This record gives sequence, structure tokens and C-alpha cells, in this order.
Amino acid sequence: MRLDALSRLVRLSLARERKGAFFSAFGVAMGVGTLVFFIGLGLGVGRVIREKIFPTDARLVDVVPSSVSLGLLGGGKLDAEAVERLRALPGVEAAHRKMSVRVPAVTRYDGVFFGTRLRMGMEVLAVGVDPDLVKGDVQLGEFKDAGEGQPIPALVSTRLLELYNKTFAPARKLPQLSSGMIVGFGFPVEFNRSYVSASATGPSVSSQTQVVGASDRAMFAGITLPLETAVRINRQAGVDAENYSGVTLVAVDPSHVPALVDAVKAMGLEIDDQERRMAENTGAAVALTTSALALLSILICFLAAVNIAHALSASVRARAREIGVMQAVGASRADIRAIVLAEAAVVGLAGGAVGTAVALAASFGVNRLAAGYLPNFPYKPDSFFSFPWPVVLGGVVLGLLAALAGAYFPSRRAAATDPARTLAG
Amino acid sequence: MIHARDVTKEYIDGDGTRVRVLDGMSLDVDAGDFVAVVGPSGSGKSTLLHLLGGLDVDYRGEVSVGGVKLAGLGDKALARFRNTHVGFVFQSFHLIPNLSALENVLLPSHFGAKPPDAVKRGEALLERVGLAAKKDRAPVRLSGGERQRVAIARALYGGPKLLLCDEPTGNLDAATGAGVIQLFQELHREGLTVLAVTHEERMSAAARRVLRLKEGKLVEERATAQAASGDAS
Repeated sequence: MRLDALSRLVRLSLARERKGAFFSAFGVAMGVGTLVFFIGLGLGVGRVIREKIFPTDARLVDVVPSSVSLGLLGGGKLDAEAVERLRALPGVEAAHRKMSVRVPAVTRYDGVFFGTRLRMGMEVLAVGVDPDLVKGDVQLGEFKDAGEGQPIPALVSTRLLELYNKTFAPARKLPQLSSGMIVGFGFPVEFNRSYVSASATGPSVSSQTQVVGASDRAMFAGITLPLETAVRINRQAGVDAENYSGVTLVAVDPSHVPALVDAVKAMGLEIDDQERRMAENTGAAVALTTSALALLSILICFLAAVNIAHALSASVRARAREIGVMQAVGASRADIRAIVLAEAAVVGLAGGAVGTAVALAASFGVNRLAAGYLPNFPYKPDSFFSFPWPVVLGGVVLGLLAALAGAYFPSRRAAATDPARTLAG
Repeated sequence: MIHARDVTKEYIDGDGTRVRVLDGMSLDVDAGDFVAVVGPSGSGKSTLLHLLGGLDVDYRGEVSVGGVKLAGLGDKALARFRNTHVGFVFQSFHLIPNLSALENVLLPSHFGAKPPDAVKRGEALLERVGLAAKKDRAPVRLSGGERQRVAIARALYGGPKLLLCDEPTGNLDAATGAGVIQLFQELHREGLTVLAVTHEERMSAAARRVLRLKEGKLVEERATAQAASGDAS
């Protein structure tokens, strides 16, 4: 059957069955709309978790010393030799060392903090990292130890900055800060001194710290310094300055990671995958919730398909004589089946397109409402939704498939119409 | 034009009883003939028409129309046969209510090869049956006689050599029916083969041959000299 003829007959039929076609398309639109909306919401929230809350790089493997010492065997320690062995593992592109500042530290700030008078003192945690690990995030000067008496470059965590902006700053009426604004900000830190715990045996060291940027790879609740600075402070305080507290391995590509993990464990070292597991667990919770809602939406699509099946069955029964006439003037069974399926396809495509459009419009409305009425919580995104093109296209295609599934049996029944019987009399 | 041999058609009725409606029937109709088939209700007249038109292929025996053997044809080939070889005219007209007169005439064009001048052809056919001025009217705004003329124009659209008519004047008053019969006579004179099953005396009177369907077989009731020399049983 020619496409133009099919199109003409379908148009005529749908024009006559306007009401039924409208309700059938409405059902499809409901199912597709809710499915696209919830999938978009799940993907949007998942993106925030993946990119902002737990930004993880699939190529990174965080190695930490074993919590159980292997004694004479020497395993479990992360000294320079172990780092070299790690660096030599197959599939390793780079190995970035980390060393915690192993003495307590405090800061006492008494001055103007971005236009607001601030006076506070607090314990500070610090870790030193290889500059290469964070070189992309340094916005001021070089990230290296400038020596005793010189300002120490420090990076702060982007997540810490987010928490400060969304909770701490509003509560204390402090200004909101961007990562660019804090660059150059200086504050005093006194190492080997604590308000709450005993200090090491060495002398305390007062230093001025200067923020040089914010980084996803910086320590969350503390400051991140150049590795040499941490080594120097530990050495001055007379604590362990030889063993590293961690090494971040960069794999050539993510496919090498499982083998790397096995090799690291074989060396008696451990993998710190707490962050990754939290990201995975949170992502799984979002995926589970999204799946449950998507299942509900698919159920609506199924009901829409059943509705289409009912509507088309009734229509085919009512049009039996008309179908018989078409057969008498030259329609084959395949032609009749094509007409019924094409009617359903138009209804499904229309329902799918409208449902998808409504979902996109609803997501726009929800984002506007969230921007206007929801409090400014940490990691609050500009958009809670993500609609990659396969989701948008998939919505329309799902509408089409649901309608075709509903039309399958009615189309067969229509094709099986016996013209001799329906045209008799 | 029509050649049928030993055709037997049975069906199971509502009581589950096997009914033999055609019983070894044979029929020959020459091209250009005008044949009326008469018989009481339930004698199988419509069934005969459906077999000859390829609407029903569930029978035993041999049927060929215009040189096409219908037995064994697939669904698509049968559809093509109905589109190009035969035209049906029904007692109840069977026009599609939401299509105009012209669109009803053009209905067969949707199922065959696309003619370049389909609309012109449809309009010419409506003019031929005297309804050119009413081509855009819906069937509900046409009289019974006009509807039947539209149905005849639709039957003629595919350029068939054989017109199969099932009680074509059954729903028409005497004057209107006479006009339709006159149209069939004109078509016959133009060379079209017409086979009509009918109860109507006027219709059978217009035909050149009258066959009676009796106990599943056709018997010659009245024949022209030419037809009598044929081999209709």
C-alpha cells in the first residue's frame, strides 16, 4: 500500500474517531510523560552526586598503608621504595604521594573576613600532596614549599567551600565565596599546637598560609599543602617524615583499575575506596528510586496500551463493514493491518511527543519553583533534571511502541475480517 | 469471462449444521454478457457472487474470471484481482459515510498503483452516472438512487471487465430502480460484463440471460439465442 494512500486513510479514520484517539493519546502521554520526567530527575540528581558531591575519576586508585603491620616482611608500609614499586606497576601512568601533617595544628583568626569582622580559633587538619595531583586547580603562584618563614600555599576543598556557602555563611551572616574570591586569602596556622590534644615533642611552628585555589582533590575537612611542606613540618616536629599516608595512582585507563587494585593488595597495601563506595551507594539509592518510579510509569504505559487495544477493538468491530468494502475494492489483509497499526502509530507518536514535551515543561517549572522557594542547601543544582537526547527520543519511541503493542491484536482481528460475511445483505 | 466448474460451497450454520449452498455448480458467462441470477433467499446467490469476485475462496471446484484462476491465489493477488478485474455493487450501497461521493469513488485508488489522473478519472465516472454536481456531498446528503450510482462509479473505478451486483435495486423505489437498471444496460452496451443476483423482475427482465439457482445448481431460465448456445448448466 502506498504511503500517501495510507496517510490519507489514517487521517480520515482518526478524524472520525477523534474522541477515542484523543483519550488513547492522553493515556500514552501520561505514561511517557511521567517516565521521561522521573528518568530526567534521576539522571539529574545522579549527575549532581557524581559531579559535585562525590566527584570521582574512574582512573584513580587511592592506596593507603595496611592497617595491619606485616612486621619483618615489611609489607603494609608506604615508604619511598613502596611508592617506586607502585609506580612501576603495569597500567600506572602516575603515582602521587600524600603525607598527613602528623602533628596537630590550630588557626586563630582575628581580622576582617571579606568585609566582616571575624574572630575565631579552630583545630586544623593538613595533608601534603604531590603538586602534580592538583596542578590544574592552583590559581596563584606555584604549589611548592617556599621554605621556612615563607607563606605556605594551601588548597581548600571545593566541597568544603560549598558547605561553607550553603550552611555556615548564612548562619553566621558571612559572605558567600567563590573559588576565585578566596585565592590570595591568608590566615595564620600554628603547627604542633592543639587546643584539645597533646603536641609532639618538637617546637611549635607558626606559619602564614595563603589560599591558592580550591580543588576536588583537596582534603575535605582541612587544608592541602605541598608535599615538601608536610615533610618539613613533620621532620621539624620529630614525627615520621618517611612514610606516606597515601598514594593516588592514575591508571592509563579505567580498564586497568581492577588489575591495579589486585596488584596493590598483593603488595600488602589497602585501597581507600570509601569515597567511591559512598558515591556508588548514593548513586544506587537514586537509581533504585528512579527505577521504582520508572516502573510505575511503564505500568501507566502498559495501561495506555491496553486502553488502545480496547479502543481499537471497538473501532474495528464498528468498522467491520467499512473494512469489508475496502477489501472488496482491493485492500489486502496486510493493507487492513497496516491501516490499523498506522492509526495506532499516529496516536502513540502524538502521545509520546506530547508526554515528552509536558515532562520537559514540568521539569522547567520544578526548577523555577526550586530556585524560588527551596532553601539554598549544599550542592543545590541549577537544574534537578538531565534530559540527554536518547531519553527525549526514547520517550517518543516508547509512546509509539506502546501504541503498536496495543494495536497488535486489533490489527490482526481487522485483517481477519471476512468481507463475504460483513457485506452480505 | 466467467468459467466455473463443479463448484461446491458448504458452511456451518448457527445450529452447527453443515449446509451445502452450492453443490457442484457450473457456470460460463461470455465477455460482454448481462446475466441475472435469481432464486429464493438463502439459495446461495450472494455466495456465488462472493466466490466469483474473489471475496470467498473457501470452496471446492474451479473458478476463473477474465482468465484468472482464483483457486490458490494468495491474499495479495486476490486483492489485486478485486482491484482491477471486478467491481462490486451491493444492495446497501456500502458507501463510507465520512467520505464525499468523489472520495468514495476514489477508494479503490488507495489500494492499487497510483494513477496520475485519479481525481479526474473519479470525476469523469461521477459525470458518467450523472452526479458530477454532487461530487463533494457526503452519502448522507444523497438519495438512495444517487448513493447506488456513486457505488456503481466506485465499482467502475478500477476499469473492471466484470460488474458483480448483489440485489442492486433491492433498496430503491421503482422509479429510482428503473434508472439504475437503465445504467446497467448502458454499461452492458458499452461492453461491460454484468452479473447481477436479484429478486427483482425488472432487473432480470433487463438481462440477456436469466439463471436460477436451485438446490445448489444453476439452471437456465431464459437465454438469448447466443447465450443458449453456450454451456451454462
